[in-house]
Amino acid sequence: MSLVSGPGRGGMTDARLPRELRLFVDKHVSYIQSLDTRKDELEYWLTEHLRMNGLYWGLTALHLLGHPDALPRNEMLDFVLSCMHESGGFGAAPGHDAHMLYTVSSVQILATLDAFDDLEERVKGGRQKIGHYIASLQNPATGTFAGDEWGETDTRFLYCALNALSLLGLLGLIDVDKAVEYIQSCQNFDGGYGNRPEAESHSGQIFTCLAALSIAGRLDVVESDRLGAWLSERQLKNGGLNGRPEKKEDVCYSWWVASSLAMIGKLHWIDGDRLASFILNCQDPDGGGIADRPGDMVDVFHTFFGLAGLSLLKYPGMVEIDPVYCMPLAITKRILEKPDVNS
Amino acid sequence: MASHGVPRISGSQVRSEQLRLKELQHITEYKKLVSIVNLKVAEGQYTVEVLTLTTQLLTENAEYYTIWNHRRRILEYMFTQLPNTGPTPSNSNQNIPNLITGDLRWLVSLLRQLPKCYWVWNHRLWLLQKAEALLPTTAAHDLWHGELELVGKLLSLDSRNFHAWGYRRFIVAQIVRISASGSASSQSMVEAEFDYTTKMVKANLSNFSAWHNRSKLIPHLLDHRQADKTARREMLDAEFSQIQAAINTDPFDQSIWFYHQFLMSTLSPSDTRHAAIALDFTRQDQLRYYEQEILGIKDILEDTRDCKWIYEALLQYALSYFKIGGNTQNFTTTDMQEWLSNLRELDPLRKGRWDDLERSFTF
Ligand SMILES: [Zn+2]
Repeated sequence: MSLVSGPGRGGMTDARLPRELRLFVDKHVSYIQSLDTRKDELEYWLTEHLRMNGLYWGLTALHLLGHPDALPRNEMLDFVLSCMHESGGFGAAPGHDAHMLYTVSSVQILATLDAFDDLEERVKGGRQKIGHYIASLQNPATGTFAGDEWGETDTRFLYCALNALSLLGLLGLIDVDKAVEYIQSCQNFDGGYGNRPEAESHSGQIFTCLAALSIAGRLDVVESDRLGAWLSERQLKNGGLNGRPEKKEDVCYSWWVASSLAMIGKLHWIDGDRLASFILNCQDPDGGGIADRPGDMVDVFHTFFGLAGLSLLKYPGMVEIDPVYCMPLAITKRILEKPDVNS
Repeated sequence: MASHGVPRISGSQVRSEQLRLKELQHITEYKKLVSIVNLKVAEGQYTVEVLTLTTQLLTENAEYYTIWNHRRRILEYMFTQLPNTGPTPSNSNQNIPNLITGDLRWLVSLLRQLPKCYWVWNHRLWLLQKAEALLPTTAAHDLWHGELELVGKLLSLDSRNFHAWGYRRFIVAQIVRISASGSASSQSMVEAEFDYTTKMVKANLSNFSAWHNRSKLIPHLLDHRQADKTARREMLDAEFSQIQAAINTDPFDQSIWFYHQFLMSTLSPSDTRHAAIALDFTRQDQLRYYEQEILGIKDILEDTRDCKWIYEALLQYALSYFKIGGNTQNFTTTDMQEWLSNLRELDPLRKGRWDDLERSFTF
């Protein structure tokens, strides 16, 4: 397990850049490694419901920083599988109920760890089980997806389903055309999408809808000029991006807005350099990690989405991210370009 | 794990020993509560005592979604054991109506603290759906109607909360569904909801969410009124003159431009995503409206030269106007080049977009 950043790996070396443009790679790596050791903080226990997402954020962040082995693979694998239910769904942590949000994170982690074979070894028919759990959450009449058996529907869950199923090679289990129709019913005149039909356009939902359409191969239904215009207006004078008009900037929208622009080929409609410096300004240069805004408390969520934004902007030395899957591009390529995929 | 707006404490400000011990004590108590609840639910102890423990735990941590599921399992069991009517003034949990209204009341206080917590909104909807399935019709209907008042209060605290707006649309749809199936007189709430958006935008012209909802309501409103050609055109004219007045008041307000763009988008029949306002537009009508709006906006330039929204709108509308066969009587391509160079100067962040826009000038 390599925890040391050699010169030239994982981000540009400090000396070549002014301080305000530096990415504190080593600090971020140790910040992420420290996350599971903070058991004497109440916050650690109050956020148990995010443990699986946190692992996906942390692991993917480490990959983007060029430190893919900075967390122990076996421990991660054990943890993920200990959250799997008989139904094929995953909970946020052992003892937590299964839900779409954690199921997709689990599949993404397994994919990143190249562990689909380990899954089959430890859980017979595991891949199919997960696929059937996800497929069972589709509403056959509307095409949309529930988050779990309690029935909340949201375009976020639709994206989670398409993301996980395509990684598993099991898109055939669901009605993709119906899902696309549902996304179209969430489209607004401004080209954006809400979480349900008639809901206001929101950057987070736009990301989920565009990414789902990308996976379905149906970006042709997007009104990309209008949507691109709306998305580009999310950049504020300070370089940061907001999620909706008249809202404040926030690092996490660096991902949702910028990846959406990237998916429709219009990332150049915002000022990438200004966005990168905004994100870099949100780093904690001492403790590592990235916050929502400069000077605020860091957390793994904003750390990950900040790094994802920088990777999308091709910050020197970072590993390239896939705007659709929000995973390292080399990994999604490895999985999706397998000849037997979706067979 | 995803904090917003919390200032960073510098590394030197470590917790005092006393605070650290207090936090450890808190952790022990919290973990104990978690394990008791999980244990008792696993044992199938669906009792009032365990329900109260879930209240305690969720009050401390409303994001703990599994506990919400436990709570619903307990309530579902209790619903099968209790009568579905009872004396309303009673405070006991000995009947379903009291159990449901008690839970709804507790959730109001949670929503005031956590208006963006998905799980709280979900639980509330679940309770209302249960109420409809289990309670006498009038009691269930009263509950749905009560929700409209609640969501109005929450929107007055944060007029942009998209959870609350989504909830509002859902509640309205439920009330309409119920009154369509029953004998209630009001078959539609679209007039009242439209008036609500009027009230909201009058209070604050920057309320983007209210403008959005208004744009969604107009097609329904016209259908509901069974508006004829004249009424539809009157509606369009009234909306245009209202928004032109708003633009004149504050051209720097992005929300107003959003609504203006919406109105403009209804002019072209190629936009099928949303119902048009006027249904019988000829090419001549379209051109006339484009001219009227473009000239109206151009007038604002006399006093305001430094507002980028004006140039954006002019360019967008001028391109559409030429596309449908407009002529250069009112403005020329030279005007457009000038608007674009102003835009480039005022809004350098989006340079790439303006480059693409310029490339789309095919004249
Ligand atoms: Zn954020």
